Amino acid sequence: MKYKCHVRVKNELGLHTRPATVIVKMLQNCESNVSFTYEKETVDAKSILSILMLAVRKNSRITIKAEGNDAKDIITELAEAFDSEFE
Amino acid sequence: MYCVADLYKEHADPLGLTLVAGDGGLKRKILVSEAHRPGLSLCGYLKSHAGKRILVFGKVEIEYLRDIAVDQRIDRLRSILDSPVPAVIVARRLRPPKELVALCREYNIPLFRTSMTTMNLLSKLTIFLNEAFAPRLTTHGTFVEVFGVGVLIKGDSSVGKSESALGLIERGHRLISDDAVIIRKREGSILEGSGAELTRYHMEIRGIGLINVANLYGAVCVCASKRIEVVVEIEVWDDTKFYDRVGIEENYCDILGVKIPFNVLPVKPGRDVVLLIETIALNYRLKQIGYNSAKEFNVKLLEEIARKSKSRRLIREI
Repeated sequence: MKYKCHVRVKNELGLHTRPATVIVKMLQNCESNVSFTYEKETVDAKSILSILMLAVRKNSRITIKAEGNDAKDIITELAEAFDSEFE
Repeated sequence: MYCVADLYKEHADPLGLTLVAGDGGLKRKILVSEAHRPGLSLCGYLKSHAGKRILVFGKVEIEYLRDIAVDQRIDRLRSILDSPVPAVIVARRLRPPKELVALCREYNIPLFRTSMTTMNLLSKLTIFLNEAFAPRLTTHGTFVEVFGVGVLIKGDSSVGKSESALGLIERGHRLISDDAVIIRKREGSILEGSGAELTRYHMEIRGIGLINVANLYGAVCVCASKRIEVVVEIEVWDDTKFYDRVGIEENYCDILGVKIPFNVLPVKPGRDVVLLIETIALNYRLKQIGYNSAKEFNVKLLEEIARKSKSRRLIREI
């Protein structure tokens, strides 16, 4: 199953090491393949360096794509996390 | 989106460019990887005029413009500049006619000057533009140089790509990028792998965190970019799978339309992955020289079998 959603980065400092760590922790036990697309660059969301490489700033839009058995759940979780600024 | 400012920033020196006018238009987009001399469009033949290309003015063009009347000059120049032309470059240190300067200011088109000859300028510019427009993708994996061979290590997260890379670095090989490898296709059939500037030479090791390999091991252990020559896919040993035991047939994978030799490396405790990757790289080097171990062995085997069959026939005849 493939799911896709768009999220906006609300964190003041953008997607820096702390929120990136929260994301990879959340995806650790996830079976599905998850990717982030930002400004035409698509990376594997399970890799912290790849997320940091994007250098996403505040108010930017990211497209999250997930493919696998638990795709829908992980997309919902990630959307909530982005919304709550990863607190 | 590639714009004139990017071209100016990256290649002003090798092209010897100086900006003469139209600096407000540096954000103009370069839509195609082509540059050309205006040719017939300067004479008024605008059918099929390629309006998106960078325009290069050489000796013939400048002399022609000087020879025609002022109104005609302005008309002809206006008809070719009133288009999405990204920039205009005048070669051979020729002085651009003042009408050209004025129109570039009016349309906000960057106008450059260079002392290069027109043909040299066109060749170099075409090379730079082709590089900027080369197909590219970012893939998850670790890219290392082992015995001079560019090895792209792929595999699932936590299979041990970064740790293998660390082991290889410790043995004197080089890291180009960990986790995210940017692959660009150059000259139609060469794949070049490199790391993003921000995260270049950084590795993430679970239990340790982020490390900068260039700082830890020194500049000799890193490399900015390398041609991708072999792809190794590391996977957890699967007893139900059949792994290649002979290696006579070459397997390939396709990246951006280019075929690259491909190996699957199954891992389990006790297998020295670093040594195995070194062996793959050395075997590849040997094959490049022209010696394929598996094929050579097979030839010798067939000769031995043939020899035995011949001696048996001789014994029967006696």
